[in-house]
Parts: sequence; structure tokens; C-alpha cells
Amino acid sequence: MSTATSVGEIERELGALRDDASENANLRTSVMTHLAWVPAEWEEAAQQVLAGLAERHPSRTIVLFPRPEDADCFEAETALHCFPFGDRSVCAEVITIRLGGERSRHPASVVLPLLVADLPVFCRWRGRPPFDEVFDELVGVADRLIVDSTEWGDDLVPAYRELARCFAKTVVSDIAWARTERWRRMLAAAWPFEGRAIRVKGTRAQATLLAGWLASRLSHDVELEHEAADILTAVAVDGERIDAPPGEPPPPADLLSDELDRFTRDEIYEGAVRAAGGVDAPE
Amino acid sequence: MTQVEQQQEENPLAVGLQLRRTPDPCAFVIFGASGDLTRRKLLPALYALAYRRLLPEQFAVVGAARTEETDEEFRARMEEAVKEHARDPFRQDVWDFLAGGMRYVATDFADDRGQDELAGVLNELDEQRGTRGNRVYYFAVPPTAIATLVGELGERRGSRGWTRLVIEKPFGRDLASARELNELLRPHFPEEEIFRIDHYLGKETVQNMLALRFANGIFEPIWNRQFIDHVQITVAESMGIEGRAGFYEQSGAIRDIFQNHLLQLVALTAMEPPIDFSSDQVRNEKVKVLRSLHTPGPKSIVRGQYGRGFVEGEEVPGYREEPRVEPDSLTETYVAAKLYVDNWRWADTPFYVRMGKRLPRRETAIAIQFKQAPHPPFEEAATEGLRPNVLVVHVQPDEGVSLSIGAKVPGAGMSIRSVHMDFLYGGAFRTGLPEAYERLILDAMLGDATLFTRTDEVEEQWSLVDAIVAAWKRDRPAFPNYAAGTWGPPSADELIHRDGRSWRRH
Repeated sequence: MSTATSVGEIERELGALRDDASENANLRTSVMTHLAWVPAEWEEAAQQVLAGLAERHPSRTIVLFPRPEDADCFEAETALHCFPFGDRSVCAEVITIRLGGERSRHPASVVLPLLVADLPVFCRWRGRPPFDEVFDELVGVADRLIVDSTEWGDDLVPAYRELARCFAKTVVSDIAWARTERWRRMLAAAWPFEGRAIRVKGTRAQATLLAGWLASRLSHDVELEHEAADILTAVAVDGERIDAPPGEPPPPADLLSDELDRFTRDEIYEGAVRAAGGVDAPE
Repeated sequence: MTQVEQQQEENPLAVGLQLRRTPDPCAFVIFGASGDLTRRKLLPALYALAYRRLLPEQFAVVGAARTEETDEEFRARMEEAVKEHARDPFRQDVWDFLAGGMRYVATDFADDRGQDELAGVLNELDEQRGTRGNRVYYFAVPPTAIATLVGELGERRGSRGWTRLVIEKPFGRDLASARELNELLRPHFPEEEIFRIDHYLGKETVQNMLALRFANGIFEPIWNRQFIDHVQITVAESMGIEGRAGFYEQSGAIRDIFQNHLLQLVALTAMEPPIDFSSDQVRNEKVKVLRSLHTPGPKSIVRGQYGRGFVEGEEVPGYREEPRVEPDSLTETYVAAKLYVDNWRWADTPFYVRMGKRLPRRETAIAIQFKQAPHPPFEEAATEGLRPNVLVVHVQPDEGVSLSIGAKVPGAGMSIRSVHMDFLYGGAFRTGLPEAYERLILDAMLGDATLFTRTDEVEEQWSLVDAIVAAWKRDRPAFPNYAAGTWGPPSADELIHRDGRSWRRH
């Protein structure tokens, strides 16, 4: 691993790493560019998920650490992550960039020259997005935005309202929504029911999204009663308990990995978010 | 409207959930349950399906074979098989689900009492496990036993539920016996209930041939006689006959590989785009290719048999020295042929095919060799290292696709060499490839016959084999004619050299 202070240096570093890889008969494979926007408080959690991800989705990963309070700086490290594959290795490039001060306000200009041509760009935004110009700029270069609204705290309604604004511009995935899928299957299996009230024991995001989903699918208001818990463990509709789904909930790296396999808009999710944010569906 | 679409239309909450197709409740009956296939492939495949929750909740497995065994003994043996051969870690809850509905019936296939007992066990399972009279009968038995079984099953066929027969290769040993078998099946089971399995069609890379051809705009326009010089298909095994002399003496390479796997690969490579991916449309197109295959004359076909030699540094016996093989056996362990597909797309484009045992390495690949650039504006010396463009679909091992292109060697002057661009399945999609049997067993349970061989396909395959074998009856080859661990007899090289071409280097 070595440090670069400009995009040009990063490109040279990547070239050198590629040469090393081909000397060892390694394969360099990319199926996408994966951007990760990681504010300081998410740094540790992000490292763990990324470690499990690169092996399953060989991609060029660009991890951006914005530090707007720091002095102006641009420090990048490039590395090749290789995984055994038969008698060879599959290698994926990981570029980590620290953007300090004003530089953290213009991430697209850093990212654009580093995207792998012709392949999709996924942007994972850690934490609650500010929905400001920086966010718009980075989402503008991505084909898909991946968020986890569980990371957004309790005041979710305005955040979902803001997120709903993005649906016209980009395709959005929400890991909190993905976590409800096992339960949505059980709810679909338990239908028909009136569905005027839902009680959810889980995160605030899961509860809000499930209530939004029911409201949008059944086209009527749904009253939500939420009991806080770290994982989704119980759901009742109209006072009737829904059977728990079989098996264990998937780990975070699997959820993110599954989202990276999807390319189309999830209109059911969009409907749930609009209902949760109290936004009318577009004409 | 499909079942999934119907469910979604009625249920607003089901919309958008990726509903997996799960088979109806059913009992899966394996005839030949004491055999190697059951242990190595079928049970591990059922376990993998159970592991991924792809089997119906109401499910039962019934093993049937001649060996005397209790239910407990059968379950214990199958548990060992799963532990040894499954691609997933052993999970007690998954195994308990499978073992809970697992029974064994000892029966001689011609024995009425055994068949009655089987029918009784299946009725019991309908009650206990809710399998609703739905049956998949998997015939992992020789063709002679199938004939008896089919009659017995047909007579005992109940009115409840559906029945599907999965029949392992070889389906007959020539056109006459294949037709006879079809005639035996027809009164009891219509074509849509018969699933003739060729496990090659369950392989991801074989199906990828269809994706490569019909999902990419760049290949199909050049996939014809104007741009393709010739096609080479290799099905090479480094193994010998692994103690299967009884089977192999009867079949040889032509019935073991050529009739089924190899002709399927030819059909997938040469077929026209189907209108859609329904089972009949895909199979209609494959049958057209098989019908237009030109029967090769004696000069266009080479057979061989391996003698003593070295494979991976180890000395191995010749075919005639293998246990229970006749010392003067004329069974071929190698076949090479030049085939022509007589249609508008492929006229005069040879398909060179070769398959054999005890070759230097295990490899199945389809290589499309394109014509040379019409007028390279370089000096002859510049292109010495340049070979024609070849697109290779690697079926096994190293599943993937590679394309060789000419590239300039860096430096002053102009020198051009061939380089490879590789796509490796495992490199881009880092998930384990499912075993062919998993896909095929699931498809049979779902009633999807796209990846199974239809009556007319099998009959076309056999008529080609019959024509080749008829010519062989007239002469006595000097066997063995290639040493184990080499790429076949010299006559196979002559076959392709006569046309000014050569087999791909490995």
C-alpha cells in the first residue's frame, strides 16, 4: 500500500499494482465501481462490511472519508485485495481517499476520473445523508444509491420525505428495507387481513417502512405501534401475531451484497417510503 | 398467467417480493438407490436444494433397490453420502428435514410384491407427509430395468396428483431400442411427463452458451459460415473407466459421450435463436440442428483405444488390461469426427469434435475459430506470432469464456502476437456454481423440461450414432492405438491436418 496526493498518482499506483498482479498470473476482475461515502463516525463499521464484500463482488472500490472540519487535504491509498481462486488469485482494487476541508465539498471531481468505464456505479452512503449539494453531486455520478435508514436515528419522517425526492433521479436501495423482506413474505402469506394497525418490534426504520408498505399496498392509513429493538423480532397486524420467518437474519455484508446484485427500481420500496414520509405518489 | 403472477395479482402484498418457484408437494422415488449416482450426486443435490429451502415443505424421498436394507440403514448411508459429497456444510436441521420423510423399499424390479410395497409406502407418505399423490420417479438403473419398471408403475398409477419420470442416460443403445423404450413409455406416460436427463445441460457454462449467443449483440451477427472458419469441441477425461467395465464394454465413447453430451454441445452451438425460452421452442431448434447433421463418411471419423501410458506422472494400465475388460476388446475409448451441419448458416463449416478417456487432462471446451483477417497490411514476419481469433467457452474446469486477439508487441517496429482475454465465472461471480443435478432435479419437480432431451432429439442422436457404428462393423481396428496420457491416435491429427487445420493446443 502506498500514499498518493493526486488522481494522477492514484492512476500510476493502480497501473503498478496491475503489473504486479499480472506477473503473478492473477486475474483482475471488476463487475462495478463501488463508492462508499464514510463520515468519521462510520469508519469502523464500514471497514468490517467492506472486508466481507470485496470477495463476493470483485469491484473497484473507492472509499471516501470526508473530513470537512480538517484542513484542506487529499490523501489516497491504493491497494490490491486478492482472493485465492483455483491456482490463481482474483484481485480487486481498493482506493481509500481522505478529503479534508473544502475538498470534501466536491467529491464527484475526485471520483469521476477513477470510475471503471462502462460498468455500473453503486454508491453506499453511510449514516443519514444531508441531502445537500455534496450528496446530490455524488449521487449524480452513481447508478444506484444504497443507504441504510436504520442508521438515520429516530426522526425519520422528514428524512424519508427528502429521500423520496431522489427517486426521480436515481435508483435507491435501503438495507433497512432489505432486512424486512423475510417478514414481508410472512405478511404476504398471512394476507387477507384488513391491515389498519401494525405493531412492530424492531428498529424505528423497519417499523416505519413496514407501516408505509402496508399503507401504500392497501391504499389506506395504517396506525403504527413501535417497540424499539435492535433487530426485527415480532410483527402483529390488527392485533394478530404474524409467524416469524424461518432461519436466521442474513449478516450485513450479505444484505449489501444482495443489493449490489439488483439493478432495477424497486417501486414497492418507493411507495413505502412515500407513504412513510407522507408524500403523494407522482402522477 | 404464471402461478407467481396470479398470486401477485390477487395479493397486493406479494407484489415485488421475488417469489421463488417452489415445487408442489411430492415424493421423490429413486430406483437404483444403492448405486453410486444416488450417493455421489442425487442425495447431495437434494440436500443442496433443502439447504436453500427450494424443496416443498411436504416432501419425501423413497429409495428403491435390490439390496436388503432397513429405513434406518438407508438413512444412515445417505447421511454419510451427504457428509462426504455435499457442497454445503452439514446442518442437522436440514438433514432432519430430508431424513424425516425418507424411506427405503427393497425390491427386485421385476417383483410384483416389491412394487406393491412401494405403492403402499407412497400412499402412506401421502397421508403422513402430505405429498398429495405427486411423484417423481428417478431411474438411476440400466435401460433393461427401466422397461420392466415403466410397465409396473403404469399399471399401478393412481388418479391423484402428477407423475414425472426422470430417466438417466443411456436412453437405449441404438435407434431401435430407444424407439422400443419410447413405445413402452407412451401408453402409460405422455411425453410431458418424461424427463430424459443429460446432466451436461444442467451445467451453468453450457447454459451460458445460450446467454453468450443470444444476450450479446456482438456475437450473433458473426456466428455463421461467413465469419467462422470452423468449430472444435473437446470432451476430454483423464480418468479411465473406473471399474465400470460392464457398462463401458457395451457403450464405448460413442454411446457414453458422443450420443448425448457431445451432440448437445453441437446443437447449442449451432442452433438458431429460439422464439422464446419455453421448453418446446428451445428443443425445436436443437432438433433442427440434429436433423441437419451430415452423417460423416468413414474418413471423417476416427476411433481409438488407449494402451498403457502415463497420466499425471503415474503409470496407468491400457484399456484391455482393466479388470473385466476382454483382452481383445474392440470397444473405443476415443472418438474424433468431422461433422457438418447442412443448413444456410453452417454449410461447409466443419465441426471437429473429439472425446476420450485417459487423455492428458480433463477439459470440456467449445472453441469457435474465426476466419483470418482478409488482408493484414503487415509484413509476413510481423504476424508470425498471430493466430486466428478464437472464442473458447470453457465448460469445465475453469468455467468461463476466453477470446484470443492479436495485439502489437510494444517497441519499435510492428510485431503482432496473440493474447487472451479471459472471463472466469468464479472470478466475476463469487458464488459457488450449483451442481448440474440440483438444477435438473428442481426443474423436473417444477415440470420444466427445457433442459431435458425430447423423444425426437434422442431418436435423431441415435440415428447418427447407428450410421457411424454400422461402418465400424466392417473393419477391425488395430487397438490400442494411443498411449494413455496423450491426445488420441495419430489418425485424429491426420483427420484435421488433411483440411490444413490442427487441434487446439492445450
